Order: sequence, then structure tokens, then C-alpha cells
Amino acid sequence: MKHAIQALGWATTILWILVILFSGTVVYSAMQIKMNFEEEHQVTTSDNALTRSIPFSISNGGLYEISELNITTLIVAENETSISRSTSLVPLIPKTSTVNEIHNISVSLEDILDKNLTYLLLNDTDLNVDMFIALTYAYAIPLKISSNLTMPWGAPLYNLAIGGISIVSPNQVNVSLSFKNHAFFSLNGTVRLEIVDSNNRTHSGTADIFVLSEDSYDKAIPVAMEATPGDVVEVHLYFDEMYLESWTLVMAIG
Amino acid sequence: MAEDKGMQMFLKKMIPKVLKATVMGLLWFFLLYALPTLFLSELVEEVLPGYTQLLSIFAIVIVFFVVVSELLAGTIFQYAFNIGKALVFMAFFIYALNGGFIAFDLEFVHIEADLRVYLAMLLTIDFLGLAKSLLQAIDFLGKKTERQLAI
Repeated sequence: MKHAIQALGWATTILWILVILFSGTVVYSAMQIKMNFEEEHQVTTSDNALTRSIPFSISNGGLYEISELNITTLIVAENETSISRSTSLVPLIPKTSTVNEIHNISVSLEDILDKNLTYLLLNDTDLNVDMFIALTYAYAIPLKISSNLTMPWGAPLYNLAIGGISIVSPNQVNVSLSFKNHAFFSLNGTVRLEIVDSNNRTHSGTADIFVLSEDSYDKAIPVAMEATPGDVVEVHLYFDEMYLESWTLVMAIG
Repeated sequence: MAEDKGMQMFLKKMIPKVLKATVMGLLWFFLLYALPTLFLSELVEEVLPGYTQLLSIFAIVIVFFVVVSELLAGTIFQYAFNIGKALVFMAFFIYALNGGFIAFDLEFVHIEADLRVYLAMLLTIDFLGLAKSLLQAIDFLGKKTERQLAI
């Protein structure tokens, strides 16, 4: 009995010392972890999607390893529709080491059009960015960190307006089209403008567009007329652009 | 005369116990309350605001059990209180760590920690302490019975 009691006493003391040491070193080590998201972001394009690459580094100066690090960002529009979900995985960050990784956030304008979020093309707004970080610390403590931020969204066709229609010749009118590209990417492609008149006849013209980010577009698009037009009822805009592939906008006039 | 002698014997027996209990109580109070308050109070208050109060309760409970255990040393009640201490600590750890899942907000960041493994470590130690106290109580009663039988 005496030996059993002694053994239990020793075991309790040793385990208390280990737990206190573990607690202290975990707190100390957690304070030695540094995350850096401040490097310059890169914007690239592929498969009709815009990808913002966010380089980050995690410096684990502690005494324990970080495993199964998962960074997920979810971009959500005002009506709670998901625009983008991106995940980065880092299997292991050994102790006293720094890991450099890139978190890619992809936004496809095609998806935006498919999800009936066309207002994002015409109006500036704030998007909600939900950020989730999950990791296991010291192989014993799973942690979940979440944060909610807002990100300004600049519309690529901000303040889109069809201006006056001026008659150039009996067979041609010029229709002025203007907008400002508030997006962080440039627009490069063509726009076809179709006028539907009160006689239900259509007349069309095409123009190239190349608008850098934060630049304005204000040009007259020549439209060929086979006959004297009636009153303009509708204007159809067909964008054939790198990101706005085959997007049609119908604007009622008057 | 006999009463005075009895009183003297009682005091002779109790004064060292009271002194030891006082010293042990102060030592544990210093280790579990004064030191953490001195070094960690700002951090704990900032990160886990409710935990300063829990730390105080933990220190009070430990000091209470240490003092009582010292005062009742050499009696079966010492082991009974040690068993009670192990059970109270188990309940306390489960409550303080919210069953192993704690969550808190740090500025605009929400953090959730799964401390079930850590809680399991603490509960294991308490189980060992509980087993030790039970064995001590059985041993104490066994020896007492043996003495009575010998007389």
C-alpha cells in the first residue's frame, strides 16, 4: 500500500510539473509566432478569372510545431451570395522556422454574372470577406481563428451611361458611351452597341475598348443605319471582353 | 490542573499545525494568486476578461484545502478533504475550460481553442490525486484498526 501511495504521489508531482512546464512553454511559444501579410499583392488573370495573390509568411519562433494550417477566405456579396472561396494549406511549420506561402483569392466575373450579381459591374460597393484560419498547435491544441472584414469593390463599368445620339450622315449616327473603370483590373475587348427603334428595327455598331484601372471611357460609337430610324426605345450593349465574356446589358431609353 | 495540562498538550499539538498551515497557505496564495496577478493580470484581463475572477477563486479554493489539510493532518478528515479537493478541482477545471472549448475575441478577431487534450491532462492528475487520497484513507483506517486490535 505504502509503495502504491508513494508511486501515485510521485506520478502526480511529475505530471503537475510537466503540465505547468507545458502550459508555460505553450504561452511563451504562442507569443513567438509572427504572421506577416504585408507584402505587395499580385493580380494575375487566367481562365477568365482574376486572381489576387497575397504572399504571407509565418515565423514560428516557439518551441512547438504548427500543423495542418488552413487559411480560407470567403468573399460574400451584400445579399449573402458567395463570390469566391479560396483555401491555402500548409501541412507543417516546424519550430524555429519561417514558412513563406501565397494565398490566392480568385474572382470570376463569369460567376458574378451567373449568380445575378450584375450590380457589381455597375456600382461600387463593399464586399464582406470572411477569413478563417485553422491550425493545430503542439499536436495537442486545435485553434480556429475567424475574422470578418469589408473590402471595397470598384465597379468596372461605374456610371455607365448612353449619351446623346448625333446624326453624322444619313447612314450613320454616333452614340456616346461613357463609364469609369473603378475595378483593380483593366478592361480590354470590344463592345457592340445595338439600337432598337420604335419600328422594332435594330441598328448596330462596334468599338474597341481598352480602359486601364481608374481610367474613364467616353467615346462615340458609330452605328450604321440602313433606314431612317424611329424613336430609340432600347439600347443593347454586348461586351466581348476578357472578363466580361459575352455579357449583354439592355438599357431602356426614355 | 488536569485541564491545564490537557490545554497545554492541545496547544503544543496545534500551534505547529497552525503555523505550518499559515505558512503553507501564504506560500500557495503567493504562488497561485500574487505572482500570476503581478505578471499576467493585464494579459489575462485583456485576452480572457472573466478569467481573473476564476484565478482568484482557484487560489482561494487551493489555499482553503491546503490550510484545512494541514490543520487536520494525522486524522482521517485530512484524506477526506483531499478526496474532496480532487473532486472540486475536477469540477473547477471542467467549468473553467468550458468542457475543453474556449472562445474569446481579440479586437476584431474571434478565437476558438479546443483544449480537450489539456483538460484531459489536468483531469488525469486529479484522478491520480483522488486515487492516492483514497489509498491513504484506506491505509490510515487499516493501521488504526490494527492498532486497536493490538491494544
